[in-house]
Amino acid sequence: MLSLEIIEENPHHILKLNGEIDASNSVELDESMRKMIDDGAQSILVDGTHLHYISSAGLGVFMSYLEDFQEEGIRFIIYGLSPSVWEVFKILGLDQLISIKPDKETVIKEI
Amino acid sequence: MPKLPSIHIGKLSFLLAILVWLALLFVDLVRLFGKINNMDAGIAQEFTWILEALFFLMIYFFYQYRIAKDSKNDFLELIWRAASTGIFATGVYVLIQIFYFLLGDTKLAQDPFLRNFFYHVHFALISIFIISTSLIWRSLILYQKTKQVVKQWQTYELILLSCLFFVFFQPISFDYPFLFVLAITILMAVVLSVNLKWIPYLTFKEKWKTLLFLFFILLCASLLFVQTNRFLSSTEMYPINLMDNLFLISLFFFTIIYAFFSFLVTLFNLPTSSVFEQKLTEAINFQRLSQSIKPEENEEQVLDILLDSCMSASYADGAWLEVYTELENGIAQVRFLDQKSKKELVALIEQNQLRQNWLAEKMADHMQPLSLKIDHPKYLTALIVPIVVNKSLIGQLVLFKEVRDGFNKEMVNIISTFARQASIAVENHRLLNQAVKNERYQEELKIAQRVQKSLLPSKLDHDEAFEICAYSNAADEVGGDYYDTFQLDEHRFVIIIGDVSGKGTSAAFHMSQMKGIFHSLIQLNLSPSEFMIRANAALSRCLERNHFITASIFIIDTQKKSFCHARAGHVPALLYQNQVKKAEYLGIDGLGLGILRNIQYENHVEEKTFPFQGGDLLVLFTDGIVEAKNQQHQQFGFERIRSLVEKHQTQHPRELQTILVDALHEFVGGDGMIDDDYSTVIVKFT
Repeated sequence: MLSLEIIEENPHHILKLNGEIDASNSVELDESMRKMIDDGAQSILVDGTHLHYISSAGLGVFMSYLEDFQEEGIRFIIYGLSPSVWEVFKILGLDQLISIKPDKETVIKEI
Repeated sequence: MPKLPSIHIGKLSFLLAILVWLALLFVDLVRLFGKINNMDAGIAQEFTWILEALFFLMIYFFYQYRIAKDSKNDFLELIWRAASTGIFATGVYVLIQIFYFLLGDTKLAQDPFLRNFFYHVHFALISIFIISTSLIWRSLILYQKTKQVVKQWQTYELILLSCLFFVFFQPISFDYPFLFVLAITILMAVVLSVNLKWIPYLTFKEKWKTLLFLFFILLCASLLFVQTNRFLSSTEMYPINLMDNLFLISLFFFTIIYAFFSFLVTLFNLPTSSVFEQKLTEAINFQRLSQSIKPEENEEQVLDILLDSCMSASYADGAWLEVYTELENGIAQVRFLDQKSKKELVALIEQNQLRQNWLAEKMADHMQPLSLKIDHPKYLTALIVPIVVNKSLIGQLVLFKEVRDGFNKEMVNIISTFARQASIAVENHRLLNQAVKNERYQEELKIAQRVQKSLLPSKLDHDEAFEICAYSNAADEVGGDYYDTFQLDEHRFVIIIGDVSGKGTSAAFHMSQMKGIFHSLIQLNLSPSEFMIRANAALSRCLERNHFITASIFIIDTQKKSFCHARAGHVPALLYQNQVKKAEYLGIDGLGLGILRNIQYENHVEEKTFPFQGGDLLVLFTDGIVEAKNQQHQQFGFERIRSLVEKHQTQHPRELQTILVDALHEFVGGDGMIDDDYSTVIVKFT
């Protein structure tokens, strides 16, 4: 079960994730990401506060856009991850490539 | 025991009949000779009677055999056989008369012996005609027989048999006993003659032919029998009356009565025969529709039969059948309509208000055929029949008639039944195809499963310094988990465990790539981190953009009692140290393979060497175990694995593995499925 919501909060595009991401619904995540990039988003924030689980297929979606972000200079930040989800990012080593912040305030402050 | 040659009843009875007839002829000629010359030849009348009875029996057997042999012949052919025999007998009689007419008053014409010979020929032909026809009637009477009819017929046959011998007791014909028995046989013939069940099965044309044949039979029988009376007039010429036999007379009446009944019933059945034919066609069409079509055939054939059946059931003047395919409304079949009128009719039907309401109801499985009045110069009525398969409308059948209100209730009923039957056939056909396809996929997957199993090592390399065991289970038929071992030299062993992102078939393909990369790179004697860098470079070229592989590699040196380890995004391995009685996860940094597809990867992988001692345990696994969830959506987690290992560290690796897997299943719950691949490799140092 996954529900996605894109909120445009100039200059950010905030993607709110709610539920679990697995192989069956990772396509929806991919579509949302693609949409934001096609919209010309320059700063993408992913709100993972209500993300309970992410499978390797979901991680694969984030991973596949890393090059695009780098090439087009898009800022990409994930925040609000629960410890267990954060652990998954960490084990895979994605925390070295994606900037992951504890909450939205931290993100805004740092920018 | 010598085998008796099988007796050919047909030939034997035929031969005997001829012999008996010749004997009869001889006996009678001798008697005539005696009479003319005023000598008593000393041949009793009974002798002739016996021969006569034998002759009848032989003919009876012969024809019984012949008709039984060709019993599959149709009615028309049977009746034709009777009629042709009659015509032949009459023809021979006429020829004899012509012969005598030509002889005029010559001496030969007066010759009693020649006359007697022809009399015997005439007798033989009448007997053959009457007996063969009776036997044909028998097979017609016993068509669709009931027990009662069979009993009636058997009684009749018995009476006839006794009639054969009647002459011995009552030589004087046409006195009261004779007439009494004759009356009984005639009565029985009438009773039997009501069995005319074969007539409705004749088509209209066949009925006409039957009438003609029956007429010939009646004509021939009457003619021949009336003529026999002429022979009776002179006892001088013919000393013994062969025709004056109760058996023959009874059968003659039977032949006449049944032919007469059949004639009348056939005549009165003529007007209704088209209805019966119609019903029969419908029944056959039903059967054709209900026979489920074979997988390699297509649905079009069913729809073809449906269209023809509906047209013939409703006497429609034109029709088409359309099936909605994914691309467009393909018109599969059109009958008796030219392009122009079809276009006009399509337009008329599209515009029809009633039809739009009918379509709007949307309850596909409750749709009934819709009868419409249309405003077309030629066609005045249309009937739209929905074709519903699996609760959705797959097409429609449109029938047209050139008369107003052309489709009555019976037609609509039968047509909607046809449509339902066709729908079932189509549905069955689709299900069957689906099943066949599924079976093939299952088969393919089984092969894939077997191939993949063979990709995992059946024998794990090790020496006496450590024991090792491994286990892998795929969530689907095939999975993306991988483990392998390799012996570098005498004291150095490599163990790898990997997990491809995702699961199922795509993961399985990448897993086999991983195996190839492992076996080619490991020969180069690389350090763990270098191995990961090279593997990352190789996989970056093979993996799709959103796929990656996590792996952990260990190079164990049993001489130095240490292992060097690098981790590429894989779940950390658990090391139990016997000395401190504690298990610890080996948390070193490392990025999954295929995530960063450039030289930068070098900065994201590290390696570390750990010493080991006897009694230490190294437990490797994939994330399927860690992330397995129970009914309350809790994960199995790292902590449970750690405490299980600490608790059971004394066990042999294989037992520890069983404990782990059992604990995992127990955690997930009785029939809860673990929906990811999971694997474990356990090493125990000695």
